[in-house]
Amino acid sequence: MTIVSAPSGVEAGGVILEAQGLVLSFGETPALRGANLSVERGEVLAVMGPSGSGKSTLLYCLAGILTPDAGVVRFDGRRLDDRSEKERSKLRRDRFGFVFQFGQLVPELTAEENVALPLLLGGLQRAQALASARDWFERLGLEGMERHRTGEMSGGQAQRVALARGLVAQPDVLFADEPTGSLDSLNGEVVMDLLTRAARDQGTTVIIVTHEARVAAYADREVIVRDGLVSSTASATR
Amino acid sequence: MIRLGLRLSVCSGREALVRVAVTAAAVALGVGLLLCALAGVNGLHAQADRVAWLDTSAQTAASTSGGSTADPLWWLYSVDQYGSQAIDRVDVAAVGPNAPVPPGVHTVPGAGEYYASPALTRLLESVPASELADRFPGRQVGTIGAAALPSPDSLVIVIGHDAHQLSRVPGAVEVRGIQQTLANCFSCQSNSGSGSGPILQWILAGAAVILFVPMLILIATASRLSAARREERFAAMRLVGATPHQVSVIAAVESSLAAVAGVAVGFAIYLVLRLLLAHVQFTGAPLAPDDLSLTGTDVLLVVIGIPIAAVASARVGLRRVRISPLGVTRRVASPPPGAMRTVPLVAGVALLAYFAVTGKPQGNGSQLVELVGGLLLILVGLMLAGPWLTKMGSRLMTARANRPATLIAGRRLLDNPRAAFRSISGLVLALFVTSAAIGALGSIVASTAQVGGSRSADTVAAQFCGLTTSCDTSNSVRSVPAGLQAELEGVPGVRTVALIHVDPSPADRMNGVGVVSCHALAKIPVIGTCAPGADVAAIGFFLGQNEAAKSPALTVWPSAGLSAASIAGLPVEAVVLATDGSPSALERARTSLVQAFPFQGPPVVVDAIGPSQLRLLAMIRNLTQVVVVASLIVAACSLAVNIAAGLSERRRPFSLLRLTGVPTAVLRRVVALESALPLLLVASVSIVVGLLAAALLLRSQLDFAFRVPGIAYWATVVFGLAASLAIIASTFPLLSRMTGPEVARTD
Repeated sequence: MTIVSAPSGVEAGGVILEAQGLVLSFGETPALRGANLSVERGEVLAVMGPSGSGKSTLLYCLAGILTPDAGVVRFDGRRLDDRSEKERSKLRRDRFGFVFQFGQLVPELTAEENVALPLLLGGLQRAQALASARDWFERLGLEGMERHRTGEMSGGQAQRVALARGLVAQPDVLFADEPTGSLDSLNGEVVMDLLTRAARDQGTTVIIVTHEARVAAYADREVIVRDGLVSSTASATR
Repeated sequence: MIRLGLRLSVCSGREALVRVAVTAAAVALGVGLLLCALAGVNGLHAQADRVAWLDTSAQTAASTSGGSTADPLWWLYSVDQYGSQAIDRVDVAAVGPNAPVPPGVHTVPGAGEYYASPALTRLLESVPASELADRFPGRQVGTIGAAALPSPDSLVIVIGHDAHQLSRVPGAVEVRGIQQTLANCFSCQSNSGSGSGPILQWILAGAAVILFVPMLILIATASRLSAARREERFAAMRLVGATPHQVSVIAAVESSLAAVAGVAVGFAIYLVLRLLLAHVQFTGAPLAPDDLSLTGTDVLLVVIGIPIAAVASARVGLRRVRISPLGVTRRVASPPPGAMRTVPLVAGVALLAYFAVTGKPQGNGSQLVELVGGLLLILVGLMLAGPWLTKMGSRLMTARANRPATLIAGRRLLDNPRAAFRSISGLVLALFVTSAAIGALGSIVASTAQVGGSRSADTVAAQFCGLTTSCDTSNSVRSVPAGLQAELEGVPGVRTVALIHVDPSPADRMNGVGVVSCHALAKIPVIGTCAPGADVAAIGFFLGQNEAAKSPALTVWPSAGLSAASIAGLPVEAVVLATDGSPSALERARTSLVQAFPFQGPPVVVDAIGPSQLRLLAMIRNLTQVVVVASLIVAACSLAVNIAAGLSERRRPFSLLRLTGVPTAVLRRVVALESALPLLLVASVSIVVGLLAAALLLRSQLDFAFRVPGIAYWATVVFGLAASLAIIASTFPLLSRMTGPEVARTD
């Protein structure tokens, strides 16, 4: 199955996500010191940087998980940072997707139920949600794994299930925090290949936080975060 | 290794310390509740022991009074009634100066004197003498001390008489000692004593078991809290070279540390809860302030036993996992519980149903098979079927789930229905037993007959010989003095008076039969009706159900073959007064009968059960209500501990779900459903099976019609369930804290 239409509510082209002068400290420790970033619709962006540079914090601010001490985050032209937690939660649920490094699958649920979870949360009937979820198993090379539990899958398989869960609701933006951090290089490449291909197929903007150059190589563009600042950008040719 | 275990428990960071603190807090809660239950049971025993003196009989040994007992004491015990309250009445007469003295009084009252309990004294002062005080001859010379009263509210009176006079009264016995403990009273129940001693012992023992089991389960659950996180740490220790034995020792140290701290805090919780516990009316009668206490054995058992049990529980928990240097793996899960587990339950119900259809089994052996076999099969069956029921309930929930919360909760329960059931298994015992007891007792109490606008509860009878075969007619038969019947009919509120005469036929008299004119019987239909065409009926036992387990109101007594005129001059066996049902009329009728026929035993309401049994039933009802609420609350505490453990295992996926925008309300629903489903399912099944068992037993043993318990019972259950759900809801803040965004960052 190939999805070619753009995600709902998003016009093709233009800036979808923008951060201006983001400042955020954890106690006495500054994490962001005035970070600026702009992400185009449909773009696959890699946010790179060494450990502790603030790249995950930047991702969480862009996704509305953390509220910056100063600065502005805009999503689809509207400010995100001044919305209530409830509004931001709804936005994350309805228009964003997430892939984390590990441990994001609900252990009690089967793989297909994990993938269907965002659709069920969106109010879809179970049968329809599971049918949509099952479509992803073939695309991600997970045929036959639908009824497996987290404990019965390898790390790479679990991460592909998490990827399907992140994309199943056709989000406007997919946030991926070190999505291959717990995988070997071969599995990492499989996951990145599937992630970028599926996202491009359905026009989803992707922001990947990583410290691995080979992961960043899958992106359209790279930015480097160092000492809480987005210090440089480079475009990749894909 | 022990030192290392201690250091790891308290000095290896905040998380380790929090883990020990949380486990200790949960153990403390269990210990606090356990100590309250122990104190409550001790209180009930203290209360019961103080009533033991009323069970004094001719068999009571002189040494039990603890004093010099050279002279005997004439003793006549009876239970009178005022309204719904029982009055323990003891008529005494000392034969000499060294006669044993009942507890609570300084001396044996002389003829024309009496001692009354403070509550009875107040009652005597507050109601008209014609309703109560006139029943007791003489004057009050003092009050009975607390040492002789089961409760500050108890109504007790000790009336002094002339020894010669009392010695001639049927039923009076010569005693040389006063009974002091219920434990010694197994042989005296058939005499004049209250007869509730052995029953009370069994009830208290049953209540103790029912209360303790859920609490021990709570403590065991608590001591395994955070096991998953601990096991991960143990795996890391195995990686750096720790042997399984060393890991086991460290686990034991950590568990015992938490348990010891929990026991210490548990005693503090007990001291706080004790203040509230004093207000709980376990038996309907408040306990005296000093009743709620712990014995040295109780303290020792808890202080030593709980840490040992906690260590054992932790070791059992470790045996369920395989901790290798590469991580923790669950041992191969046992197959899901199958439908075969319901066989004992079905067999137990079938056994009771068989006897309900075929009738009461003949012979003690068969009855024992029905009672013990049937009930035991059901109880064991419920415990065995519990995991299967949980599995089926969660399977149904999962199959129908359209919401993520229902799906996640159902899947988790399906994963391990045994574990889900384990934490509330104590509830099965409590709810089954209490429901069966309430169901049976409620039906018996509610069997008061009502015929033709006349209620048995409005009718009072003085029975001189009890209409029993053992009565010595030469002593007990009285003739009603001329004019007395008219005098009784003149008592305000009394509608009619019927006299039951001694049957002139010796054979019938030996069978406990009297005769009554059909004209008189027609005015009091609650004690039965005459056969068509009869002038005089031969009437049998009419107080409560007769031998055929049939309500007297429904009994058609056979003709005695006599004329009404011929029985008028016969001695009187019993006097029955029908009143207008007003409380004052009933009490006046009682008082008039006592005055007219002293020493013939207190008049009783023509009802299914007497005042003494009524009091025992009320006590059981109160106790069962306390047990229902307590066991539900304790089960909810076990569930709350389980919730904390479950959250600890799933804090990362849950916190990541929250990051992705899943509302906390969804996760709250997961937690609530995981706990509420087994709780409600198990509670419902236990109650239904308990009531069913009661209905079947009533039908086979007593041929009583089963009545669904009244609103008070359901209110208790609903209150207990509401309190349980509130306890489950109290863990919601824990959910918010344990799954905060920082978890995703730090793990």
